[in-house]
Amino acid sequence: MDDPGPAVKRIGFLINPVAGMGGPVGLKGTDGKAGEAELRGAVPRSQERAVRTLALLRGPGFFFFTCSGEMGELALRRAGIDHYQVKYRYQGRSSAADTRAACLEFLSCGADLILFCGGDGTARDVFDAVGQRVPILGIPAGVKMFSAVFAVNPEAAADIVRSAGISDFLDAEILDIDEDAYRQGDLQTRLHGYARIPALPELTQYSKQVFEDRDEERARVGIARFIAETIAPGVLYILGPGTTTAALAKYLGLEKTLLGVDLVKDGKVVVTDASEAQIMEILRDSSGSRIIVSPIGAQGFVLGRGNQQISKDVIRTVGTGNIIVIASPGKLAGTPVLHVDTGDPKLDAEFGEHLTVVSGYRIAQRKRVLRISDDRD
Amino acid sequence: MQTKILLPEEQMPKRWYNILADMPPMDPALHPKTGKPVTPEDLSPIFPMELIRQEVAADRFIDIPEEVREILALWRPSPLFRARRLEKHLKTPAKIFYKWEGVSPAGSHKPNTAVPQAYYNMKAGIERLATETGAGQWGSALAFATQLFGLECTVYMVRSSYAQKPYRKSMMQVWGAECLPSPTDRTNSGRQVLQGDPETPGSLGIAISEAVEDAATHSNTNYSLGSVLNHVCLHQTVIGLEAREQLAMVEEYPDVVIGCVGGGSNFAGISFPFAGDKIKGTKPGTDIVGVEPSACPSLTKGLFAYDYGDVAGLTPLLKMFTLGHDFVPPAIHAGGLRYHGDSPIVSRLVHDGVMRAVSYYQNEVFEAAQTFARTEGLIVAPESAHAVKAAIDMALECRKTGEAKTILFNNSGHGDFDMSSYDAFYQGKLVDYEYPAELIRQSLARLPKVG
Repeated sequence: MDDPGPAVKRIGFLINPVAGMGGPVGLKGTDGKAGEAELRGAVPRSQERAVRTLALLRGPGFFFFTCSGEMGELALRRAGIDHYQVKYRYQGRSSAADTRAACLEFLSCGADLILFCGGDGTARDVFDAVGQRVPILGIPAGVKMFSAVFAVNPEAAADIVRSAGISDFLDAEILDIDEDAYRQGDLQTRLHGYARIPALPELTQYSKQVFEDRDEERARVGIARFIAETIAPGVLYILGPGTTTAALAKYLGLEKTLLGVDLVKDGKVVVTDASEAQIMEILRDSSGSRIIVSPIGAQGFVLGRGNQQISKDVIRTVGTGNIIVIASPGKLAGTPVLHVDTGDPKLDAEFGEHLTVVSGYRIAQRKRVLRISDDRD
Repeated sequence: MQTKILLPEEQMPKRWYNILADMPPMDPALHPKTGKPVTPEDLSPIFPMELIRQEVAADRFIDIPEEVREILALWRPSPLFRARRLEKHLKTPAKIFYKWEGVSPAGSHKPNTAVPQAYYNMKAGIERLATETGAGQWGSALAFATQLFGLECTVYMVRSSYAQKPYRKSMMQVWGAECLPSPTDRTNSGRQVLQGDPETPGSLGIAISEAVEDAATHSNTNYSLGSVLNHVCLHQTVIGLEAREQLAMVEEYPDVVIGCVGGGSNFAGISFPFAGDKIKGTKPGTDIVGVEPSACPSLTKGLFAYDYGDVAGLTPLLKMFTLGHDFVPPAIHAGGLRYHGDSPIVSRLVHDGVMRAVSYYQNEVFEAAQTFARTEGLIVAPESAHAVKAAIDMALECRKTGEAKTILFNNSGHGDFDMSSYDAFYQGKLVDYEYPAELIRQSLARLPKVG
């Protein structure tokens, strides 16, 4: 089939065929473990998940660039879609390198969106290949999905693809998970970067009705202006990772790392990309302190994912009453509930059932906090 | 079993109740430039003398002009309902009564004051009224009232509501008024706000600035305010006066009186006659409760202080509970409750403990409205739904304690133009906005003191 015209959404589509296999057989992730997972009797589930999404994307409005076989073509055909071109062929067992190479191929073909089916590892590979050059969206199929680029289920992914415009985007966190540590029962997550995901336009009527701040940048400046007014001398500010805290730092005229935890006091950055030990050390010499963090989009983790330098000891020292949570309205709209996972259930409980999240100039939203059971075993 | 309690037309109140006569002296409104108490002359460029007199009147009762009563009779006395189905649904021993103001032509309590205001302005030879409107209720009420007396009407409608409720604008058009999304580029105040923030959702405070400026700069034009001011609260007392009569017809007197609060006029309307009884000591135990949105909680989280009534600082300084005149409340669906301040009388009564206030989040308010619609049938305005929510909570409290309290609330308007808000509720798109009081307190403490 020929290349489509501009009225058609061009979607680069790929599947990580082994994603999600490790979970049911107790491997907590399939990175480099696909063979072992198969030996343990794991069945790939990403095909079936992807077909559920694709079945809702039949029709002339979409054109797919994809990979051969299990990395894409098979699922498209099973979903009854024939307007696609295979742009990448892989040999043997597919790998992370294949994912990255395929994404670069999609990019050069002019894809409007990369739709992938996999887990956190796949998300990281896709992001590493394309960065912010094209929006990406994940169909969840992995063992664990902590990154913010995933739709809540395969059907929701189709909804987003169908209704998303091609000009509105949100930043979404990509998290790095140390799978070896995770298999040992230790969840180590670190913010890896910010991908772009399609922003969902509200149903057309609604978007005209309520002047919610859909302009993310503008909202972040509003938040920054408000928080900046509350900054007091002599107080140590522990700024978590992310674009929202970075916007605050920028507003204050400070250089902040995007992915690290930075410490600020009296108008100066004291430590950049601080480790937990460094934070604890500085805290010992500080009379007052505050933590300013932003939740991970969609997943809703405020603490315990992507900012583990802000450990339970740090939180206890600062005090849960001195934590300011900030997030843009766009991010909050796509984040139904928040989670706190400090590793200490008693401390988690101190956050209560709701958190106040500053979402604009002198504006906040009340968001529900859902306890997560310790799911690491 | 009686469901509707109807007052015969000839028993419609002939006089408004002026609660000022039963209160300790109020802190005067201050001139925004001089800081001295405002004089009638200060107010005369934008208000007719009769309304200025009513603003500070000392008489306990003020006659309602016959021409005004004739028009009010189009829908008044409004019915009082016993919400038996709601009571049954809640399994409460409480008796729930509500005054239904949705029967007016504009669909809310607002015409109760729009009609006398238009009347007094017409008498004073004024040709046009300028006003603001939040959710559009007030604008349509004044549009309705002005055309009855042959006046022109210009309505500055808060931009977010203008987009949310396009049919309110159409309604005003039917009644011959001009409705503009505020901020506009017609006034200095509007242009200033737009310059600072072209995407602003607008606010009542901004729209008031525009309307006041319009009136002050045109000699044939006066300003008309739909809430907050003493004379507006005065005109609304017909609600409570009727309700008291209607309850007496079934040998009841409320233990609890509830109304939603934006600028405070509908709450004043339902509650002042009962607050008067409470102050005078004839009924000292009545619990009088104003209900606010958590997004804009002036009475529950604001400061009792002098502040401007508008964003630009053109109005007199009023002693009231305020969130600061520069506070732009988030775009909640109860647009009529998005006001930074409150009626000075209501504020004073809350401050003195005669009344109290509670606040609720959007989603729980819409849930209550849904319960009400599915039991009593009426689909209420998001503003009125705040009162419904408080009444339901109070009735559920009675279920716990076993008390058979008599609860009266003002059901201030219908929600026929608010379906998009209900849609948003069903789509899970309603945000539970909150006023970050502690952070704002810190931010204010660090702001330079001006003036």
